[in-house]
Amino acid sequence: MALVELRGVFKSFRKGDETITPLDNIDLDIHAGEFVSLMGPSGTGKSTLLNLVSGIDRPDSGTITVDGTEVNKLSRSKLADWRAANLGYIFQTHNLIPVLTAYENVELPTLLLKLSAAQRRQRVELALEAVGLSNRADHYPRQLSGGQEQRVGIARAIVAHPKVVVADEPTGSLDAETSEQVQVLLQRLNKELNITMLMVTHDSNVASIASRQLMLDRGKFLEAIRS
Amino acid sequence: MLLPWEYGVRNLARRPVRTALTLVALATVVMLVFVVVGFIRGLEQSLAVSGDENVVLVYSVNSEENIENSSIAPSSPSVLAASLDSAVKRYGVLHVSPELFLGTRVKTGAGEGGLGLVRGVSLTAPLVRRSVKLVEGNWPGDGEVIIGRLVAAKLGSSTDAMAIGNSIDFEGKQWRISGRFTAGGAAYESEIWCKLSDFQTTTKRQDISLVAMLLSPTGSAAEVELFCKERTDLELRSIRETEYYAMLQQHYKPVRMLAWFVVVLVSGAGIFAGLNMMYGAVAGRIREIAMLQAIGYRRRAILISLVQEGVLLAAAGSLLSGVIALTLLNGMAIRFTMGAFTLRIDSVAILIGCGVGLLLGVLGALPPAFKALRAEVATSLKAV
Repeated sequence: MALVELRGVFKSFRKGDETITPLDNIDLDIHAGEFVSLMGPSGTGKSTLLNLVSGIDRPDSGTITVDGTEVNKLSRSKLADWRAANLGYIFQTHNLIPVLTAYENVELPTLLLKLSAAQRRQRVELALEAVGLSNRADHYPRQLSGGQEQRVGIARAIVAHPKVVVADEPTGSLDAETSEQVQVLLQRLNKELNITMLMVTHDSNVASIASRQLMLDRGKFLEAIRS
Repeated sequence: MLLPWEYGVRNLARRPVRTALTLVALATVVMLVFVVVGFIRGLEQSLAVSGDENVVLVYSVNSEENIENSSIAPSSPSVLAASLDSAVKRYGVLHVSPELFLGTRVKTGAGEGGLGLVRGVSLTAPLVRRSVKLVEGNWPGDGEVIIGRLVAAKLGSSTDAMAIGNSIDFEGKQWRISGRFTAGGAAYESEIWCKLSDFQTTTKRQDISLVAMLLSPTGSAAEVELFCKERTDLELRSIRETEYYAMLQQHYKPVRMLAWFVVVLVSGAGIFAGLNMMYGAVAGRIREIAMLQAIGYRRRAILISLVQEGVLLAAAGSLLSGVIALTLLNGMAIRFTMGAFTLRIDSVAILIGCGVGLLLGVLGALPPAFKALRAEVATSLKAV
């Protein structure tokens, strides 16, 4: 059984008089430990799909099951709890809290789990070590480079040991060199820590680091580019 | 699970200028609340401590509740003493105080002055007005007066002008200040006392305004009241002193209501200061709030954190105002129609002032927080 299962997922929006259907009867399976990249032109529903899998949006119809939990049926507060325990989110613009240090930013998701202070500390230190930023733990986001900020964002996404990590254009706001470093990091986390990843990108080079690449166009998957 | 406390605290430092301005605005609002509540509490306290349960006032039936307008025969004290056993008699001295009470223009030696309250009294006055204590100087002789603690405030003059040995003018005569008295915050503290006979001579009056009687344990106010009603020829009425001041409390009720209304208005203005600050704070953090929801924080936790920010700022403003109010405003003399009283920043005033402050923090934070949390997480994550 796949870790993430989408069945008959349909999602549409009203935009003025027009109805946009970014996802039209989508089926998708993502297995544990898999690294899936999702590409496609702007406005084709890549982020919508990511938001549905991460439970911050709901489909009009269809089911989304993650590790046996039908997330589209959970209440808003149950969804929040589910996300805290099962999902890591890497954002395009890091979204670090400027008034918290790197350590405190990474610690945020662990505060939602039933962990002792020592366990929390251990997890945060390991996460920062995994992204190579142990020596920047006390730095505030303004004291970090763009690449370092994104690595703190990645540490925050993996610190709670989520079942799935979703990444929305994780290299979208980085220069080429930093982007390369982040790609290597994501690949390493997937391989070494066996983290299941779903990444949205419109950069084919970035998409190529995934073990499976999917192309989305006008609400439907085109052929798998590589699997 | 709630967001870390440090998050709310440090967020206040994100926009230091806006935060500082809001702090000043909130502190000003809370200060105004302290002033108004201190005024109400001072007025209430002054009237509450002015009455003595065991003192009965006998005055003219024609003067309604205004004793200044009362005029009764100078023989009234002896008639009352002869007819009733209600007053305390100790060492042969009957605790009955005939008094002539007038509101008149008073001028200090420095030319300052205003409408003062003058009471002509005899030596029995302190026996009946038991809260009155001569704290400095001597009991007045001919051409002399003693002044209450708040007379300077009542007249709007300087305290120096009211020093012992200085002179004041009223009713066309110069009077030397021979002493100062306190009365435990009672209304007499804004009065000028002189010898009754001297005052009668100066004002060319034979009559008196009232008789104050200290009731003995066996005496009763009802007995005095019954006597006044039976002896219609004397045209007297009596009232327990506490009831008289309770009546004045009622008289000043519209003033107190108006003051409470001012508290509400000022508080309303304060809410806008809080709203302005929190809308600004939340507007710049739409994406951050969405991120917190995306990583698993419930909306309630984020709401509490935003309210915490507003409350923290309001608490700081309240604390600042509370310290200023306690050190600078508490005890400040206020001139009023009935005399003068002091602003009273007591526990009730502190509770109301700080309560209003904290309420401003909560009410100022809630609408922007609700607005931010109502937005779709997916949309807010893309917000600029």
